[in-house]
Amino acid sequence: MEFNPTIVAFLCNWCSYTGADLAGTSRMKYKPNVRVIRVMCSGRVDPTFVYKSFREGADGVLICGCHPGDCHYQEGNYKCLRRFKLMKKYITQMGIEPARLHLEWISASEGKQFAELIDSMTARIKELGPSKIKTVVETLAI
Amino acid sequence: MRSMEEARIGVYVCWCGNNIAKMVDVELVTELIGKLPHVVVSKNYKYMCSDPGQELIAEDILEHNLNRVVVAACSPRIHELTFRKVLEKSGLNPYLFEMANIREQDSWVHDNREAATRKAVELVAGAISRVQYHEPLDKRSVGINPATLVIGGGVAGMSAALEVANAGREVYLLEKTEQLGGMVSHFDLTFPYLYDADKMLEVMIRRTINHPHIKVFYNTTISEVHGYIGNFETTIQSDSNQEQTLTFGNIIVATGLRPFDASRVGQYGYGRLPNVITSVEFEDLLRTGQVRTKEGNIPQNIAIIHCVGSRNTEFHEYCSRTCCQVALKFANQLRSLLPDSNIYDLYADMRAFGKGCEELYTATSKKEIIFMMFDQQHELPQIIKSVAPGDPPMLIFFREKISGLGLEIPADMIILMVGMEAHPDVKDIAHAVGISICSNAFFIEKHPKLDPVATTTSGVYIVGNCQGPKGIPDSVAQAKAAAARVLATINQGSVHVEVTTAEVNETLCCGCQTCIMVCPYTAIHYDREKKVSVVNEVLCKGCGTCGSTCPTGAIRSKHFTDQQILSQIDGLMKMALKIE
Ligand SMILES: Cc1cc2nc3c(=O)[nH]c(=O)nc-3n(C[C@H](O)[C@H](O)[C@H](O)COP(=O)(O)OP(=O)(O)OC[C@H]3O[C@@H](n4cnc5c(N)ncnc54)[C@H](O)[C@@H]3O)c2cc1C
Ligand code: SF4
Ligand code: SF4
Ligand code: SF4
Ligand code: FES
Repeated sequence: MEFNPTIVAFLCNWCSYTGADLAGTSRMKYKPNVRVIRVMCSGRVDPTFVYKSFREGADGVLICGCHPGDCHYQEGNYKCLRRFKLMKKYITQMGIEPARLHLEWISASEGKQFAELIDSMTARIKELGPSKIKTVVETLAI
Repeated sequence: MRSMEEARIGVYVCWCGNNIAKMVDVELVTELIGKLPHVVVSKNYKYMCSDPGQELIAEDILEHNLNRVVVAACSPRIHELTFRKVLEKSGLNPYLFEMANIREQDSWVHDNREAATRKAVELVAGAISRVQYHEPLDKRSVGINPATLVIGGGVAGMSAALEVANAGREVYLLEKTEQLGGMVSHFDLTFPYLYDADKMLEVMIRRTINHPHIKVFYNTTISEVHGYIGNFETTIQSDSNQEQTLTFGNIIVATGLRPFDASRVGQYGYGRLPNVITSVEFEDLLRTGQVRTKEGNIPQNIAIIHCVGSRNTEFHEYCSRTCCQVALKFANQLRSLLPDSNIYDLYADMRAFGKGCEELYTATSKKEIIFMMFDQQHELPQIIKSVAPGDPPMLIFFREKISGLGLEIPADMIILMVGMEAHPDVKDIAHAVGISICSNAFFIEKHPKLDPVATTTSGVYIVGNCQGPKGIPDSVAQAKAAAARVLATINQGSVHVEVTTAEVNETLCCGCQTCIMVCPYTAIHYDREKKVSVVNEVLCKGCGTCGSTCPTGAIRSKHFTDQQILSQIDGLMKMALKIE
């Protein structure tokens, strides 16, 4: 059977979630692999949310926030960016390819960019294949 | 987690007519979801947001003693508040509700029914898992400062200011330049009835300046605004270079647009050819009462070119909406001033919509104006300076679209109908007041049809051209609409604001003060006696950054708690693996 990845995405309410909605209002089509979780700001994305998503079997995790300088709360996205770099290191230690975690700035008007991002990310994760953490978790029964 | 009664969840899947039902098998979603633990009722209905849809939820809450509700429908940005109100009316705390977005982020963006249905099931499963951990939150009521800030002193800004001030409320009007009036202060007459622009504007300006409730600040703009609806604050640098702090409860943004820079269209020669001028410059010329070339001659051949910088993907894709009518206005004025000259009107399309405008077109077309069409997308006209002695000073080469013929028009004066575009500082304004701009850099309204002058930031309104190009009547209408909204809020005296703030658990806090360093609003302070950090609920805007930074997990971001989000992940991933 064809591998159909599941991608968990954390979108900030003000820019990115609105941008994703715009892709919808503009009836743009993209791959059905993403599951969006809304947070007020990308600064709210706690590393545990990311680890938990992988732990539960997500093949990819996406974080989207406002463009630098555009965060509704001034600088939550910068804080997210700093944390993102640490998260990349951490998941590598967990045995997850760093490419499975992605951060992108999407503004409220970038519906098209959001649709393209989901397509390209889905393609990239498909290439990587299913996340191995699933089997690790299963065999260790943790 | 706080002690909690057993969750009794009602789930409602909306068809949205055919918008959702066409791509998502709502029956199947309802069925699969109905099997999940804690789900007491699971139903679908044609329009959940309609009155019968809302009543369905209200009745179930009573009949089945529900204590949690999930609606799978459009984006929560559209109807979350609608459904929260249903819970409230039924005696449930409005925060015991969650929405799953299966329209904007599912049915509208996919074309595979099976995959879209599966996605819907997973999203709803996540919402069900999350809502179990929702907690009742108290609403916070804040008083409304009755003063209003208006940014921009064009016709839109002044109209809004006057409407609010006439109701006896204070208005601070900030104008970037040294005078009021905006674009209209350039105009001679106004379309479609060719009224005197000065007469209208003078009265408006006089009323504004002399109004006891309006304080105008010239050469002033804003850089930063603090606070929230009802309680905003900003510091301005006024004329005499003195700092002044203003406090107000609502903001109306009316910063307008600026004319497109015509020199960007190389083949029109603007900036190189002295008698190629913009529509704004031509208005200034008309106000002198005489139309003459730069050399002081009466022009024999005058051409008007439409859509300069508009409706062309190289510049702006949008239509600037007023220039066609302005061109008609010019043709009329030219015909009266220069009865013997040839007047050419080169258009891409003639967009004379709106009250009185098609009539203006018909009347103008009877005045020996030569209308011709060109291809705006593929072949813009070319203007050259002619060199042969005896030739007219300039020639326009273009392909007439209907006949397909290549034509050559002589001209002594060419008027470029420049489009409108955003000011270079539009982002700074957006940022200062916390609103968004669209891909054309116009401010985004809350809802294009249902809430066209509000924004997603409570207490901030957008009126006039800054919301998108439009004529004076529409600008004034928006201004008065926003004023009505502001006055309604002031009259209420208070508003409810979101209570999704952060909260420190004193027993878990180790006093490291990391949260204080990351909070962008200095909403957290350190209690030296207790050796813990404390959040000031009024200052906190609920971004949640402190919550994800605290090393001991002492901070709860209300309504976005770790537990709520982790359960949402859990719920949707479990369902994903199950379906797999
Ligand atoms: C050549 C031409 C002719 C036109 N003729 C007609 C006509 O005949 N009839 C008609 O109905 N419409 C006409 N229009 C359209 C008309 O110009 C607009 O409808 C009108 O100007 C919109 O008013 P406004 O107040 O929204 O914006 P503006 O008139 O642009 O006013 C905005 C004001 O805000 C100020 N401002 C900008 N940024 C800031 C800031 N950061 N801080 C503080 N202040 C700021 C500006 O200085 C300005 O005073 C014409 C347009 C053009 C270009
Ligand atoms: S109003 Fe007319 S001239 Fe202006 S951009 Fe639209 S079509 Fe072109
Ligand atoms: S970051 Fe957490 S532990 Fe540190 S002071 Fe703030 S609330 Fe307390
Ligand atoms: S949620 Fe944001 S605004 Fe509120 S205290 Fe925490 S960091 Fe500050
Ligand atoms: S609100 Fe979008 S990143 Fe902060």
